[in-house]
Amino acid sequence: MNESIITGIREKARELLESGQVSCVIGYEASERDGARPAFIYDPADVDRLVWNEHCVHNLVTYLHDKKHSQKRGEDPPCVAVVAKPCDSRAINVLLAEQQIARERVFVIGVACEGMQNGTGEPDVRCARCSDRVPAIYDVLLGEPPEAAPVEDDFADLSEVEDLPPTERLAFWLRQFDRCIRCYACRQVCPGCYCTTCMFERDDGLWIDAGVELPQKHLFHLGRALHLAGRCVECNECERVCPMDLPLSLLNRMLMREVESLFDHRAGREEALSPLLFELGEEGSPL
Amino acid sequence: MTFTTRDHLKAWLDGLTDEYDLVAPRDVDGKVLYRPVASADDVLFDYERPELSAKDYLFPATEVLLRAEKQGGEVTQEEILPDRKQVIFGLRPCDAHGLAAIDALFIQKEPSDAYYRHHRQRTTLVGLACPQMWEGCFCTSVGGAPDDGTHLDVLLREVEGGYTVKAVTEKGEALLGGLALKEQDGRVPKSAADAEQVPVTEPAKWRPLFEDEIWMRHGERCLSCRICTYVCPTCRCFDVVDRVTGVREGVTHIERIRVWDACTSPNYRRAAGGHNSRPTKTSRLRNRFYCKFCYYPEDFGALGCVGCGRCVVSCPVDIDIREVMREVAGAGQ
Repeated sequence: MNESIITGIREKARELLESGQVSCVIGYEASERDGARPAFIYDPADVDRLVWNEHCVHNLVTYLHDKKHSQKRGEDPPCVAVVAKPCDSRAINVLLAEQQIARERVFVIGVACEGMQNGTGEPDVRCARCSDRVPAIYDVLLGEPPEAAPVEDDFADLSEVEDLPPTERLAFWLRQFDRCIRCYACRQVCPGCYCTTCMFERDDGLWIDAGVELPQKHLFHLGRALHLAGRCVECNECERVCPMDLPLSLLNRMLMREVESLFDHRAGREEALSPLLFELGEEGSPL
Repeated sequence: MTFTTRDHLKAWLDGLTDEYDLVAPRDVDGKVLYRPVASADDVLFDYERPELSAKDYLFPATEVLLRAEKQGGEVTQEEILPDRKQVIFGLRPCDAHGLAAIDALFIQKEPSDAYYRHHRQRTTLVGLACPQMWEGCFCTSVGGAPDDGTHLDVLLREVEGGYTVKAVTEKGEALLGGLALKEQDGRVPKSAADAEQVPVTEPAKWRPLFEDEIWMRHGERCLSCRICTYVCPTCRCFDVVDRVTGVREGVTHIERIRVWDACTSPNYRRAAGGHNSRPTKTSRLRNRFYCKFCYYPEDFGALGCVGCGRCVVSCPVDIDIREVMREVAGAGQ
């Protein structure tokens, strides 16, 4: 399966680059340490660097933000191709709806996904609760969608925290946030976090100063989660990259579940804005 | 060379807590971190490489430099310097080496940094040699070793039934006063310096590679987060900002704080007026490596890398400093 997908990615990349339809293909290359890592291919001669395997955990859509502006004065922004798993593809829909990227400038090489693995060969934590096999948006689809019994997120880990009395729940979260080193990796890796100046990093910030202390970390993580409500595509990259292993998916999934139950909206399933952040309440709406 | 048991070490550490703030490796929700400990029972003795270096205890991520109060036109200021002495126990040799690298800028070059110098003076470093090299480690390539005591005050090495104890400095000798010691009976410490050597290219040979494709190839993958700089034992860039901490009864309370900064961060080089002289990820990542192997050695005489391997294992997109070092060495041929 992987071999035919790899061949398909390379052939499509070569075709797109040779025809000039795109100037760059964002995909995965082999990594000795991690099994796969992001790669940027500009020359058709380099397409054989591209790979596909069970370690392609990275959400490459986040790199589209680097490509949405013209690279030279007077030129249009570049057209690029991006390899996308189902979860990644939902981020493309979010960015299209939010007018961050132009559809005609992104070629989506969708890949049917069997789920990724963590470093020890177990299914990646995010994949163990995901049934999406086919990207929500693509220009070409590679691989056969595997037959797999649908799994639903049972939120068991979330329930454990939610069932705590409020004071213990707060203590749980403060204990987690205390480990945070404010490296911003969670924000930087997130395709939905693209503000030019993050509100938590403003020189004139009224909400938060530059200190790496518990109140700032607390506010940063809760604020970021709220900004992602109805926009988070559950790729879980924030949790993967966190050097201190903060359980950030608990926050994101809690808000995702709330938004879905109130608005019947799941981010990126189609090209639609988050009803939570972008819609004013009308009569009969849950707002 | 003398010997002690773990029980004697623990009794000694507990005795130190009267006079010293004790920092040691401990288990923090599954992560090994250098953290303040109240009792030797909280100290880990069997651990690999703590997730973060110990620089936070000499160059804190957030340090209040002074407090000021403003009432009407009256402003009073108070400088803040902690007066307790501090012992960092279980420090890995690479982390002590990292402090030596920071010393090159903050202490050995005038004007010295009063706050860092103060922390350095009040701190005694008790190291525990690594019994082996860990994932990503390459200390032996950059002038260190898993059992190198050079930059420590006391070096412990684990042997069967206990530890060999070596006072490296007079400060270390003085600290050992209360520790029950006996002559070593020939037990051999575990230590293995077995990692593959990584080539270090001299600063002058980095200069012609400034426009090399290496930087674009790795830089484009970079997320512009701060993991590598914050886990690094030698990265020492900082920012200074003022903050209002409260207004109570007509008095405005202000703090001037020093906070870690990171050259990988997009706004690190942003100047007044908004110009950014390192506007791309490529230019920022390149600077990180040039700082470590070209600028810092040239300007301060110390390598900006001690081979601890933390950036290697914690980078989410596999930017591997060893790979870059090999490519630079190869490109310079």
